[in-house]
Amino acid sequence: MQLNRLDQERLDGKLGKAMQFAMETIVTAAHIDQAERLIDISFAHIDACFYNGRAHLDFVNYMLEHGATLAVPAWTNNGLVSLNDLSLRDPLASREMDEARQLMQAYVKLGCNPVWTCAPYQLPGRPELGAHIVGSESNAVSFYNSVIGARSNKYGDFLDVCAAVTGRVPYSKLHRDEARAATMLFDVGNIPQEIRRDDLFYHLLGHFIGRNTGNLVPAIAGLSDDCNEDDLKAISAAGSSSGSVPLFHAIGITPEASTIEVAFQGQPPQRIIELTLADLQQARAELGGNSDHALSGIALGTPHFSYAEFERLVQLLNGRCVHPGLVFYLTTSRHVHQQARRQGWIDSLEQAGVKIVTDTCTYFSPAVNGLRGKVMTNSAKWAYYAPGMLPVEALIGSLRECVESAVSGEVMLDPWVAE
Amino acid sequence: MSPATIDIEARVLIPGHATGPALVLDDTLSFWGGFEPSNGEIIDVHHPQFGQLVGGSILFIPQSRGSAGTPGGIAETLRNGSGPLAFVLGEPDVNISVGTLVANRLYELEIPVLEISLAAMAQIRSGDSVTIDQRGIVVAGA
Repeated sequence: MQLNRLDQERLDGKLGKAMQFAMETIVTAAHIDQAERLIDISFAHIDACFYNGRAHLDFVNYMLEHGATLAVPAWTNNGLVSLNDLSLRDPLASREMDEARQLMQAYVKLGCNPVWTCAPYQLPGRPELGAHIVGSESNAVSFYNSVIGARSNKYGDFLDVCAAVTGRVPYSKLHRDEARAATMLFDVGNIPQEIRRDDLFYHLLGHFIGRNTGNLVPAIAGLSDDCNEDDLKAISAAGSSSGSVPLFHAIGITPEASTIEVAFQGQPPQRIIELTLADLQQARAELGGNSDHALSGIALGTPHFSYAEFERLVQLLNGRCVHPGLVFYLTTSRHVHQQARRQGWIDSLEQAGVKIVTDTCTYFSPAVNGLRGKVMTNSAKWAYYAPGMLPVEALIGSLRECVESAVSGEVMLDPWVAE
Repeated sequence: MSPATIDIEARVLIPGHATGPALVLDDTLSFWGGFEPSNGEIIDVHHPQFGQLVGGSILFIPQSRGSAGTPGGIAETLRNGSGPLAFVLGEPDVNISVGTLVANRLYELEIPVLEISLAAMAQIRSGDSVTIDQRGIVVAGA
C-alpha cells in the first residue's frame, strides 16, 4: 500500500504517540480491506462514546494522555446514559453509569461536538454529495450514503476515532464509485397508493429490504414523489436492523439514482422483487403484529424524532392526553428538542403525559424505567431490538395508530392492516 | 503428534501466537448486543451456541455482524480475561481485528487474528487442539 510522506511520519511516531496508534489502526484496516491507498475525510460521526465496558474508557484516556486532537469535525452518537436526566440511571449499575458518563465527557474533552444523536443528519451542517466521511451508527451510515450521497463504509468503535484523529481512511468499498452501483431492484409499484403514503409503509419496506438484500445494493422503484426524509430515515434504520443495508437508492428521489440506468451504472439488476401487500403484512407480523394483550406503553423516536415528526405528533394528539397508566417515551436530540421547545411543543407534550428523553435511546435497558409488557412503536428498528434488551413485547404501528392507541389505552389499528 | 493433524495456511490480520482448544461458531455474531463482554458469554438467543463461554478458546467465527459496537465488546472481553486466546475468521473482518489491535496495545497482549477460507474452517471441530504461530499457520489435531 502507498503511504504519503505525512502518513509515514504519522506512522513513525513523529507526530506523537496518539497519532501513531491511530495511524497504525488505520493502516491495519487498510491491510485487511486490501486498499491501495488512504484518502482524506471531511467529517466523522463517533460511536465509541457509547459505553460497553472499561476498555472504551481506557482507549479514549490513552488518546487524551498522549495528546490526541481531531483532524476533522466529529459529532457524537447517542450515549448509554442521558447527561440531562439523572432519573433515568439504573441505581443497581452505578459504576457502569459513572463510567458511561465519564466516557461521554472524555469525548467532549477530545474536541467532539456533543450532539449525542443517532440522527446527526437532522442537524444543520451536514456533509455534501460525494463527500468522504466516517459514519458508524448503522442507520446514519445508510442515510448519509443513500439520502445525502456522502460516502462512508460502516465504521466500528475505535476506528471511527482513529479516522477523526488522522483525517484518513482506507480507499475501499463504498468510498469507490463501482461499489455504489445498485445491483438489486425492489419494485413497489403494485402496492396501493394510499398505503405507499402511510409512514408505516417505509418501516415495513425497510425491514423487508434488510431481510432480502444479502450483500447486494438495493434500489427501490415506485416510491411516492412526496416521500420525505423521515420516510427515508425509516428505510435506513429498518434495513440496517433486519439486515445490512449501508446504501440503497430510491429511483427518482435519492441523489445517485435519477433513473434506473444511473443507479445501476448501466448494468442489469441481478435480482428483481415486486412487492405485494402480503410481503408487507409478513413484515408487520415479524415486527410484532399481534394486537392481543393490554397495551402498557408507547416508544417513539428511534432513530431520534425529527422536527417534522414533532409537528405531526402534536397535530395528531390535538390537545388530547395519554391514557392514565400508559407510559409514553419519546427520544430525540438536544438540537431538535430545543427547536420543538421554541414552538411550545415540548411543554404541551409533557402536559399530555409524554416523557421526552435526549442523548440516548429507550431500548438501552439501563436508560429507562417503566417500559415493560406490550409496547407500541412506530419504529421497525425499536421493534426489532427492544424485545432482546427490555422485558417487552413490541407492536409496530403508524404514528397515527400509536397516538390513537396512546389516547384510548388500547391497541387501535387502521383497517388495511387489520384485514 | 496425532495422525489427524492438518496444516492450514492463514492470512495474518493481527500477528501473535496461541495454543488452545478450538471453539467453532456455526453462525456470525455481533459482539455488541449478542455477547456479554464481562464474562465472555454468547447471549444472542437466536445463535446456535447461545449460552456458550468463549474464554480460553481459539475462536473460529465466519465473521462478526452488524453493530459498530463490536470492537468495544472485543476489547473489553480481552481486557478482563474472559475472551478467546485467538480469533480465526472466515472473512476479513475489520471490526474484530480493530478491537483486538486496541486491546493488544492498551493491555500489552499478543492476541492474533487470522483469516482462513470457510472451506478450511469446515475441517475444524470444536475441541480440536490448535496452535497458531507467527507465520500464521493453524495446526489442528483431533
